[in-house]
Amino acid sequence: MLHVLVIGAGTMGSVHAEAYKNMPGVKLVGIADLQADKAALLAAHCECRAFTSYDQALGQLGSEHIDVIDICLPTPLHKSYVLRAADDGKDVICEKPLAGSLADARLMIDYCKQKGVRLFVGQVLRFFPEYQNAKALLDRGAIGSPAVIRAARGGSYPVGWNDWYSDTSASGGVIVDALIHDFDYLRWCFGEVERVFAKSLHGRVQAQLDYALVTLRFQSGVIAHIEGTWAHEGFFMQLEMAGTSGVIDYDSSKDTPLIMRDRGQRPGSRAGVPVPESPLEPSPYARELAHFVSCIQDGSEPLVTAEDAWEALRISLAALESARTGRPVTLNDAARSTSG
Amino acid sequence: MKIGIISFAHMHAAGYASALMQIEGVELVGIADPVAERGQKYAAQFGTSYFQSYEDLLAQGLDGVVVTSENAYHKEHVLAAAKAGVHVLCEKPLSTNVKDAQAMIEACRAHGVLLQTAFPVRFNSSVRRAKQLVDEGKLGRILAMKGTNRGRNPGGWFVEPSLSGGGAVIDHTVHVADIMRWMTGAEVKEVYAEVDHLIAETPIDDCGMLSLEFDNGVFATLDCSWSRNKTYPVWGDVTLEIIGSAGTLTLNAINQKLNVYRDEQGYSHHFWGDDMDLALVRDFVSSIASGASEASVTGEDGLQALAVAVAAYRSDERKDTVSMTDVLA
Ligand SMILES: NC(=O)c1ccc[n+]([C@@H]2O[C@H](COP(=O)([O-])OP(=O)(O)OC[C@H]3O[C@@H](n4cnc5c(N)ncnc54)[C@H](O)[C@@H]3O)[C@@H](O)[C@H]2O)c1
Repeated sequence: MLHVLVIGAGTMGSVHAEAYKNMPGVKLVGIADLQADKAALLAAHCECRAFTSYDQALGQLGSEHIDVIDICLPTPLHKSYVLRAADDGKDVICEKPLAGSLADARLMIDYCKQKGVRLFVGQVLRFFPEYQNAKALLDRGAIGSPAVIRAARGGSYPVGWNDWYSDTSASGGVIVDALIHDFDYLRWCFGEVERVFAKSLHGRVQAQLDYALVTLRFQSGVIAHIEGTWAHEGFFMQLEMAGTSGVIDYDSSKDTPLIMRDRGQRPGSRAGVPVPESPLEPSPYARELAHFVSCIQDGSEPLVTAEDAWEALRISLAALESARTGRPVTLNDAARSTSG
Repeated sequence: MKIGIISFAHMHAAGYASALMQIEGVELVGIADPVAERGQKYAAQFGTSYFQSYEDLLAQGLDGVVVTSENAYHKEHVLAAAKAGVHVLCEKPLSTNVKDAQAMIEACRAHGVLLQTAFPVRFNSSVRRAKQLVDEGKLGRILAMKGTNRGRNPGGWFVEPSLSGGGAVIDHTVHVADIMRWMTGAEVKEVYAEVDHLIAETPIDDCGMLSLEFDNGVFATLDCSWSRNKTYPVWGDVTLEIIGSAGTLTLNAINQKLNVYRDEQGYSHHFWGDDMDLALVRDFVSSIASGASEASVTGEDGLQALAVAVAAYRSDERKDTVSMTDVLA
């Protein structure tokens, strides 16, 4: 039985805790969040203990009763908590993006290696069945050889603790926080990226809006266009792969099995907002976490490694740089993975 | 009003011809085509005369002429029309290069004839409605745009650069580049593009992804790829996403469709929206009739859109951004 401690009871902490609650072979031992009420509420729901800090949790649970630390904190806090968990000899599952800079991400990866703990990063798109199936079709040659790919992701401006998302130096904006999913997925499908060009609203408007359009050129020749938006209403994601003999496309806002619309007549209900759902048992997040757990249990390599997460961050940061300078950014092979 | 058509090389000619037939007071005087078989066939179909030489057609006392020849011949045909004092509606792209396009504009100005670039998308009812919403300020200030104009590889002379000037990039950049200029009232300042030949067997650029910076700080991308395969339910698309400070707009100009499922042909879209070719030709005819001093969509509009495509090719060669001032110089 693996004992897991979740740090952070926000959006992602709740998703992770919920997943562990029903996961065989796993015991969720606690949830720590500096907001005591939030931790308590989630802990009550997940039938585990609540703490107000990482240190308090370790102290009260006893370090020997914890195997895995799952970090669901705002991105700028990932580094210090990954390092602390490694110091405490715990395997780590960390939400994406691994860090805000490549140097930090490299340090975290190397540090975990040194300390002999494992590090998994929540690049969850590889666990979404629609994306897995698209890749499987691609690999089977369903569209011939791939040529032009379009991906999109977004919705409204994210709301987080202390408004941390709106500090672009903390979240990386839509390019780092959201598009890192697509960058990882596309790299999984099409290999290494040669060149990145990007434009974004960051630095152009003062409003709480972010919107980015990124072009990736892969070493294989494939051209990909990725749209990231925090300027729309309602979450959506899209994928289109066009090849020499076929096209695969997916649009979560259209290809959805379930949409609830409230007439707004019950107390507290909101009228007119369609709420689409794509029920899956287990959820992609639960699949991802169960996979990481099984890798810890049997020592196997995960479907997405910390190195993959580093590469996805590298593409994200190249896109940020391109958006800032207005010029394309070429990724060179020499810098890949090894240097820090 | 007497109108002629020079060449049926471009498949849009048939659409323009049938539009001309529907407009009251317009006489389709003749079709000139160097390919006799093709010219005679369409002359018979539209009940008009066939001319082997376009000079003979232009000598028929025409008011206007539609030029739908291969891109590389636009210049020759437009210059001849201008010289004959005949107003011109020229198929897009206006030309295969900036210099020729500038010469065409100059010649039409010198001879006092209208030069209209055939951008039918401007006359699509949904596009016009979008423009109206933008002009009413419903989106606030435009911040960014994402456009696509994908299609199938048309083959034929379209994939012979000596006749077409290039593949997907020159063929499919201009429509939406024009719409973006029209919506924003701004000019493209800088272009970046990834261009390649990744799909067709014939070596021709069939994939293009452009990034545009406008002179008012708006940015945009445009996918002009011939990336629709044979069984895709529709020939292609014309889409534009507009991000404004007060809202967003999602435009899919040909999404007025029935979904049709047939045992033989499979799944296809059946378009039932307004005929934009008819609206385009009607506009050209009415500009002539009213003695307008400028066409509603000018040669200059055609030149600017063409220059974006030219900049895209240059950007791909250099693997860097290209300034429009350099391309237009
Ligand atoms: N995989 C995905 O699809 C996905 C989706 C959303 C967010 N994320 C990532 O997950 C991470 C968390 O995002 P979120 O949206 O859940 O954030 P959030 O703001 O909703 O939650 C963060 C929580 O951390 C708590 N916290 C802050 N500092 C703390 C500390 N020192 N100790 C304990 N608790 C502390 C806050 O009180 C808050 O409850 C981010 O890295 C984000 O990028 C991933």
